[in-house]
Amino acid sequence: MATISTQLRTLLKEPSKEELTRIFFALDGQPAPGEPALGDKVDISAVVSIQGMDDSSYAGRLYIIGPYLTFASLDRKSVRFTLPLCTVRRVERLNSRTGAFALSLLLWHGIKLILQLTSLRPTADAFCARLRDALKIQLQLGNMRSMKTFVKSCYSESLVASASSTVANEREDGSLLSADGQSYLGGLGLKYKFPGDPKKLREASKTKLWAQYLREHGRNLTLLRYPQCTRLVQVGLPNRLRGEIWETLSGSLYLRFNNPGLYERILKENDGKTSTSTEEIEKDLQRSLPEYSAYQSEEGIDTLRRVLTAYSWRNPELGYCQAMNILAAAILIYMSEEQAFWLLEVLCVRLLPGYYSPSMYGTLLDQRVFEALVHRCLPMIHDHFQEVDVQLSVASLPWFLSLFINSMPMIFAFRIVDCFFCMGPKVLFQVGLAILKINGDALLNIQDDGQFINLMREYFASLDQSAHPHSTDSRARAITRFQELLLVAFREFSVITDEMIHNERRRFRGEIIHGIESFSKRAAVRNLKTFRRFKKDQIGLIYDVLFKAICVAPPPPSVNPPVTSGSEHERPETRIDLKTFRVFLSEIATWARDDAIVSNGFQERVDRTIPEHELVDRLFFFWDTSCRGALSFQDLVNGLDGIMFGDLMSSIEWFFTLHDKDKDGYLTRDEVLTVSESLLFIFRYELGDAYLGAVSRFMTNAFEYGDALQQDSEKTAEPEGNQSHNKPYLNLATFRMVVLADELLEEFFEQDLRESFRLQTVEIEDVSHVGQPTGFLGLGGLLSTIVTEDNKKIFNRFTDEIGKTIGKHQVMHRPSIGRMDRKVALEEPKARESLLPPSSSAPRLNVTLPGRSPSPAGSVKEKDQQSLLSAPSPLTPVPASPVVNPLKFAVLERTPFAIDEARDDGETDDDDDISIVGREDDAEVMDEVDAFLEAHDSGLSEADKAIAADLQTATPLR
Amino acid sequence: MADAAASADKSIQVKLVLLGEAAVGKSSVVLRFVSNEFQANKEPTIGAAFLTQKCRLEDRVLRYEIWDTAGQERFHSLAPMYYRNAQAAVVVYDVTKAASLDKAKSWVKELQRQANPHIVIALAGNKVDLVNNAAASSSSTTEETSEDEPDDATATPAELAQAASGDGLRAVARDEAQAYATEAGLLFFETSAKTGEGIVELFTEIAKKIPIEHILASTRGGGANRPGGAASGSNAQGNVNLDANNQTPKNACNC
Repeated sequence: MATISTQLRTLLKEPSKEELTRIFFALDGQPAPGEPALGDKVDISAVVSIQGMDDSSYAGRLYIIGPYLTFASLDRKSVRFTLPLCTVRRVERLNSRTGAFALSLLLWHGIKLILQLTSLRPTADAFCARLRDALKIQLQLGNMRSMKTFVKSCYSESLVASASSTVANEREDGSLLSADGQSYLGGLGLKYKFPGDPKKLREASKTKLWAQYLREHGRNLTLLRYPQCTRLVQVGLPNRLRGEIWETLSGSLYLRFNNPGLYERILKENDGKTSTSTEEIEKDLQRSLPEYSAYQSEEGIDTLRRVLTAYSWRNPELGYCQAMNILAAAILIYMSEEQAFWLLEVLCVRLLPGYYSPSMYGTLLDQRVFEALVHRCLPMIHDHFQEVDVQLSVASLPWFLSLFINSMPMIFAFRIVDCFFCMGPKVLFQVGLAILKINGDALLNIQDDGQFINLMREYFASLDQSAHPHSTDSRARAITRFQELLLVAFREFSVITDEMIHNERRRFRGEIIHGIESFSKRAAVRNLKTFRRFKKDQIGLIYDVLFKAICVAPPPPSVNPPVTSGSEHERPETRIDLKTFRVFLSEIATWARDDAIVSNGFQERVDRTIPEHELVDRLFFFWDTSCRGALSFQDLVNGLDGIMFGDLMSSIEWFFTLHDKDKDGYLTRDEVLTVSESLLFIFRYELGDAYLGAVSRFMTNAFEYGDALQQDSEKTAEPEGNQSHNKPYLNLATFRMVVLADELLEEFFEQDLRESFRLQTVEIEDVSHVGQPTGFLGLGGLLSTIVTEDNKKIFNRFTDEIGKTIGKHQVMHRPSIGRMDRKVALEEPKARESLLPPSSSAPRLNVTLPGRSPSPAGSVKEKDQQSLLSAPSPLTPVPASPVVNPLKFAVLERTPFAIDEARDDGETDDDDDISIVGREDDAEVMDEVDAFLEAHDSGLSEADKAIAADLQTATPLR
Repeated sequence: MADAAASADKSIQVKLVLLGEAAVGKSSVVLRFVSNEFQANKEPTIGAAFLTQKCRLEDRVLRYEIWDTAGQERFHSLAPMYYRNAQAAVVVYDVTKAASLDKAKSWVKELQRQANPHIVIALAGNKVDLVNNAAASSSSTTEETSEDEPDDATATPAELAQAASGDGLRAVARDEAQAYATEAGLLFFETSAKTGEGIVELFTEIAKKIPIEHILASTRGGGANRPGGAASGSNAQGNVNLDANNQTPKNACNC
């Protein structure tokens, strides 16, 4: 009744350094054929400036990643861009008076970018050569042409082209009066209007500011992100531009650009098909933002259905998860189906990894991370919640899962979504912490989950109200609770960085994997129809072996059975095929594995291989009582029960039936031979000749008795065909007699056969420590890489070679029964463990967190969590790492809210009159922008700036 | 928050969780109980929705704190967060879908092993209006379907055809579910969130079965440890919530 998934172990791998760079530059997927791969990377130190713009010089790092030119300023946030190389029109070497090595790039939208390569000359030359080659490829592929048509689908082109900020064909909120002559893509909002009051949202001013920004800094594919861009995003995107800016900032624009027509193709190819996902989608269509007018119409519902369905086909392993409908419905207000489809991909794969997967591991992990951050930043609230046993996740889970869209009034949620696409997933944590901090006093009074939820609900409903209703300062009064929320989130919790979240995720990864796995173990055990004669802990051991087998030899994916409408479908259930079964059995039956004990003078180790033998296959089909060609957990339990509790007589019968293929109560001559082969297989590594003798005696006796009986029956029955090998030949009674005639065989069936099945604790490698990039780990990492399977093999082979040359190499197979050599010590040599360097089993954290002695992986395993989320964090406070301490002080020292500073910005108070649209209003919007103004460090000294300024006027080199 | 000092005549808090397969109508059952409404289009529950409703039982007032959980299979692993410490659970299935009863059974099993040992579990076969309509006359929507044995599995062929044209075909016999419920020690009701049938009865019977003295004793014990300031503050908070809730029709639960 359950699926057993080992996917987590691969999915929750640590991203490599390369992957992190790609994530940072919002690059996903595979480039089109002919394009260089994203793994193809080269980078260099550089200073970037925009020609003709003061203060536009920033030092940072320039990369060529596949077909993209990307840049990040030194602080990784002030300036960055991801330019598809096909948007570069012309490159020139600049003639600099100061002798700096500089290039000028003319971009498609007319922006001239000056790149000063500040590395050593040979590096710079090499970089230029790479750039030249990469650009040549673009020329050959003819990507410029497709780029030209592609950018026309972006609204920014029309916006910048038109002189005024509002086009004649538009309502105030940006929706269209008529769809005539619309060349760009847009969402349902164009027809059904956008949520919110356009005056209050100051649409006109925002649009004007954006038009100017996009004119100066490029747009869509060529957008250069300068500090101003982030600030404009923080005050809220104008409705009309929102969809495009979302796809540009999130990088889904590049996916759409690289995969033209794919969305339509997926829809067409799967037209009329149904799946579990499409069924689930259908249930939710009518209840996705039903308050928005488009979703009360057939058109809106169809749009939503197509996007969700297409994505479920695009990513069948993920399929569809509730909450995706909310997200899709929300983004479809602002973007077209195709745009929404690609944005959904970026959300599910990169921005919210694992949030919507079948195990929802990403959601669970980030909830755990959020809890840890609350513990650090708001310890009083955390402690109070622990004391009154309130779970943070009951409220915060939907925040993360639906990006606040389900929790707050839409217009506010969209502003958080704006920031989320611009600044990344850390925004969710920052806003979450700010919500808790702002409501801190009230939260310290709550006593249960219910009060917590209600408090949050009231707070969200009051976001449009003044944060300081009783203030005498009208400017302070004008600040809404929502503005306060953003200020607190981005100022007081600016300490929450991507890197911190990354590290926290790594910290809790093992715990979450273990939690999910033990949850599915409990469910699988609970859902067994019967335990047979096993005790619960034995069932657990069987599960563990099964789980390990699935890890080692994954069965074919359990595909959701196609749904025939109306009828009930079976819930997917994990079944293992023969390949996995061999591994499973090898862990339990001593004779189903070849354990070679190798000693070579340096080490003694056990090399285990899994033999293929007819007996194993026979057992597989014997246990497959429902004839599916695959075994479920229950089948395995039933099967093991059949032999592990047997006595002499029942074991003999079991072995007899196992070989009686047609179950007629008789073995044929052939089957008697097979019995002997099976016995010989089981006894293959026993010492001495005793078992060989026993089996040959068995054969002699079996045929002797069999022939005798056959003659008896022949007297009464048909005379012909007694020589046939497929005729019934030996019945159970005779078989028993033959077996009991031999002492050794009697012993075997009385005890040894049963005992050759052993339930033992299996070791499953903890993946959370495997595959970590060495770059982060230093020495410990170097050592741990030795422990990878491949390296172990190499090391083993190496020592074997030496062992052979010095004559110490020895291989001995461990017997399955071992009755003949009980005196020989069978203890497993410790060689395997001794290979592990001491540091690899103890996690790296121990280095920075002294006093936390047990390894997280180990301690987690011991803890039997009742639920994944209910597990409170350890009662003993986590020892503060050096990173955390100053951070905590920083939070404590701050004034409660940063509003005061915003008040000092010195504009006269015409805030109440929001209907004025014009210069003053623009200034006011920018005021709000200034509230977010942070020191942006260009990373340049005065001298550097002079060089950069000089380059602004430099002429191209001949 | 039922505080020791005030709890004698104040409401007694009962945590109740709703579980069951997706789209069997869990949220609708709650909505009917809490605000006596039926909404055809409900937003799906992300994680769990939280609602409260008071319910009078003899001289006591119970305040249900209802956790309405998401039904999709992948949200299953989140459920323990909501059913921990719950004193009552309603496991809902859809009478027109046999598979939903299997899922309900597995929820019951899980609750009996993992949840609070004294938890009161009720099994509710929802959407009974679909089969009632088929059995009676399909035109009468306002018809009172009272507590007479609506064993609709024995509909006449003509009515069955009528039912088959819509969704209204019973897939779980009342007797079958009743037998299972008795065997597993559950309360059992067939309900319709659409017509309101069985909803009030469901919550009333749960209220009767809840070991109130036990809850009182435990909250008293817990309350004693809490700082007085915090407790009184929370009480005020609680009252606000109750007021908000009392705007809903009072007839929802007047037992």
